[in-house]
Amino acid sequence: MSSDSSTGLTLHRHSVSEEAEAQLFWRMRLRFARAFMGQLYRTARLRSTLIVALSLLFWSGLFVLFQTGFYFVKHHVGGAGDPYHAQTFKLVFHLFFASLNLMLVFSSGIILYGTLFRSPESRLLMTMPARDARIVLHKFQEALAYSCWGFFLLASPMMLAYGIVVGAPWYYYALMAPMIVSFVYIPCSLGAVFCLLLVAKFPKLKLAIVASVAMASVVVAGRAIWATVNGPQIELFGNEWFQQTLHRFQFTQQEWLPSSWLSNGLLEAGRTLPPSAETTGFDLPIVQSCMYLAVLIMNALICHLMVVNAGKAWLREAYSTVECAPRQRRKIKVAWFDLLLERMLFSFPKPVKLLLVKDWRLLRRDPIQWSQFLIFFGLLGLYFLNLDRFRSQGNDLGNITWVNMVSFLNLAVVGLILSTFTTRFIFPMISLEGQRFWVLGLLPLPRETILWSKFIFAALGSWLPCAALILASDLMLRIDLLVVAVHQFTCLLLCVGLASIAVGLGAMMPDFRESSPSKIAAGFGGTLNLVLSALYIILIVVCTALPCHFYLIAGRGKLSETFMHPDQWRHWLLYGTVAAILIATVATVVPLSMGLKAFRRLELS
Amino acid sequence: MAAIVEFKAVGRNYGAKRAVDDLNLELRTGELFALLGHNGAGKTTTIKMLVGLLRPQDGAVLVGGYDIVEATREAVSVLGYVPDQPYLYDKLSGREFLEFIAGMYGYDARQAKVLIDREVGRFGLASFVDDLCESYSHGMKQRTVFAAAMLHNPQVLVVDEPMVGLDPQSIRLVKDLLREEVSKGLCVFMSTHTLAAAEEIADRIGVMRQSKLLFTGTVDELRQAHPDRQPSLESLYLHLMNTEDSSSEVPPAGDSHAALGEDAKSP
Repeated sequence: MSSDSSTGLTLHRHSVSEEAEAQLFWRMRLRFARAFMGQLYRTARLRSTLIVALSLLFWSGLFVLFQTGFYFVKHHVGGAGDPYHAQTFKLVFHLFFASLNLMLVFSSGIILYGTLFRSPESRLLMTMPARDARIVLHKFQEALAYSCWGFFLLASPMMLAYGIVVGAPWYYYALMAPMIVSFVYIPCSLGAVFCLLLVAKFPKLKLAIVASVAMASVVVAGRAIWATVNGPQIELFGNEWFQQTLHRFQFTQQEWLPSSWLSNGLLEAGRTLPPSAETTGFDLPIVQSCMYLAVLIMNALICHLMVVNAGKAWLREAYSTVECAPRQRRKIKVAWFDLLLERMLFSFPKPVKLLLVKDWRLLRRDPIQWSQFLIFFGLLGLYFLNLDRFRSQGNDLGNITWVNMVSFLNLAVVGLILSTFTTRFIFPMISLEGQRFWVLGLLPLPRETILWSKFIFAALGSWLPCAALILASDLMLRIDLLVVAVHQFTCLLLCVGLASIAVGLGAMMPDFRESSPSKIAAGFGGTLNLVLSALYIILIVVCTALPCHFYLIAGRGKLSETFMHPDQWRHWLLYGTVAAILIATVATVVPLSMGLKAFRRLELS
Repeated sequence: MAAIVEFKAVGRNYGAKRAVDDLNLELRTGELFALLGHNGAGKTTTIKMLVGLLRPQDGAVLVGGYDIVEATREAVSVLGYVPDQPYLYDKLSGREFLEFIAGMYGYDARQAKVLIDREVGRFGLASFVDDLCESYSHGMKQRTVFAAAMLHNPQVLVVDEPMVGLDPQSIRLVKDLLREEVSKGLCVFMSTHTLAAAEEIADRIGVMRQSKLLFTGTVDELRQAHPDRQPSLESLYLHLMNTEDSSSEVPPAGDSHAALGEDAKSP
């Protein structure tokens, strides 16, 4: 009890019940969400619309993919009632959900670690009389949402497509949402409990344990996948191969796995009985499905209790352990590739060379930046190296068409991924320099030099890996030398243009208040950069790809004499190249000159 | 008078490094205690253990008679905490944030309104309290966090570097507020590098160096221990630190007064 002398009121403090505490947190979260959505609507309509539109596009693409795949299975493997039909769908569902099951355990554990132990909000909440279990639940809900949106985006089109293809009854659709929600709660809770346990009780071994389990999972999955696809092509999709594959992935159908409860529940709900079938109430698909749902819900509730008790028991201990972990100082030496880079840049003026080497060091010492680059480009590289199934076989027009199309699609994909990197890493560079402008601004060099160095850094840095990737794709596809040359030329145009757009827009729309590059990239300028980059890529690829594609297939088909004479397309090839050069020149010169102008006028307060 | 805050032989490591070693300290109601020390001396670790963020490895911390480890909720209920890096929810307004804090301490909506109005007036938040916190300057954030810490009329206020980032007027406001609340019985535990502020408002000071509490007492007691030095706290503090730096070994906590002279006694 406290008395307020200014108002003369006597105030009574009540002990906050668990329910009231939960309501308080939820009210705060709702207010937060309302303010966030309102702000998004007022200040970031372009970005929000783009995100929603692209998500819908991605969802629709997945839906079409799954629906086509399921129709293929239905028509070519066997219809309802066929043993292959049931086995195939069972394999697909179990494999899909078992993989996601494991990923959810890892992702929720890792996200909870970040949101609980590294966030200033936790620090605030822990100094107030909030229950430890409530703090953990609050942060766990965040981790759950972050972990699950990908699951919803992947699983919902698949489940919907399956229901449509097999003509599932109404209750299949009604049971989908509760099944998904109760399922995701289980692996996410387990991830959270493991996270708390490892941090509180095995602080020194936590990284080793997580890395070992992740490595073991990758090895097991990798071996199974390799064994499945590595056989002779002639045996692929044959009866024996199918049986072996079923056997190989049998472990995903273990009855104790939550993913099996979800898969079985969905498959039961989607099952339709023939009119002549005689079944008792217990065997009805809806009853069977509801039983799986009950198993999922009960386990989810038990997992909820586990999270609550783990939070109660381990939060403070774990937090102390993380806070008091020794921080190692990084000793920096001049690396040989820094020296090599300095030698390679001999033709540049010294200030530009110094700025380039500085940017290179900042990049290579920040694993968050280059690891994303490595993952995406590494995956692309793996895909390109496995393109041998498209290899040109003879003079078959269909094959040549496909090979050319795939090669240009690969080029476009490299460009699009590069545009996300220029948006995420190059566009914010000027904004980030603003905070260090007291150093750069006072150096005896023209301001333009800073911008030019960013442009050279971005263009050179992106051209080398992109050119190598596209060359790998072309070599694997064994395409015509002319196309290889066109691809390399297009790649150069893309890299130079994208670098200029990112640097120019970054200088025109800097955000000196924000210190996080991801937040700078997520703003209006970053979104505009992404949209313009995508438009630029599409224009360049269309201008160079279409004429080249038609030129190569001209004269090989039946329509060649009338519509597709090679001479005609030779002209178009030239026009397309000239158009691409013109577009690239505009896309390079205009943003860069506008950026230079804006950067010269820039006043830093 | 019974102590409201007690550190009993408290120790804490950061890996192999000893951050706080054998800390014994008692604070009473109506007292402003300023903890001084170089960066890395152990001040922030001490504060983190006091507010429940870190668990002591050795010894115990008691707040209002409650052990911070065994009865964390009860102990932090009597505390208000102003960290050096104020955290507010970006997408809440200052008022919404204060309502959340009031709810956490068990006040209903009517009572919360009374308390929030009081703090808004006291800290001059009226012009921005309904704006989203993301638009606040450091000073605005600091004042809002002060308001949140004082909202539930705590018995102990813990402040980590309260003057950093504040304009002169706000610094005056904070100093006056702290003295006024101390006169009403509040116990303030303040960690600071601003020696002038400590000299001006602290009843007692503590000096930490390399995990150990070297001295506790009033500024006058420190002056008496070093009559040959200039009387400012800055001069005395630097002398104390330099003397200790030049010695090969840090004296054990219990013997710290010996290094200062026989006259320096902890109250």
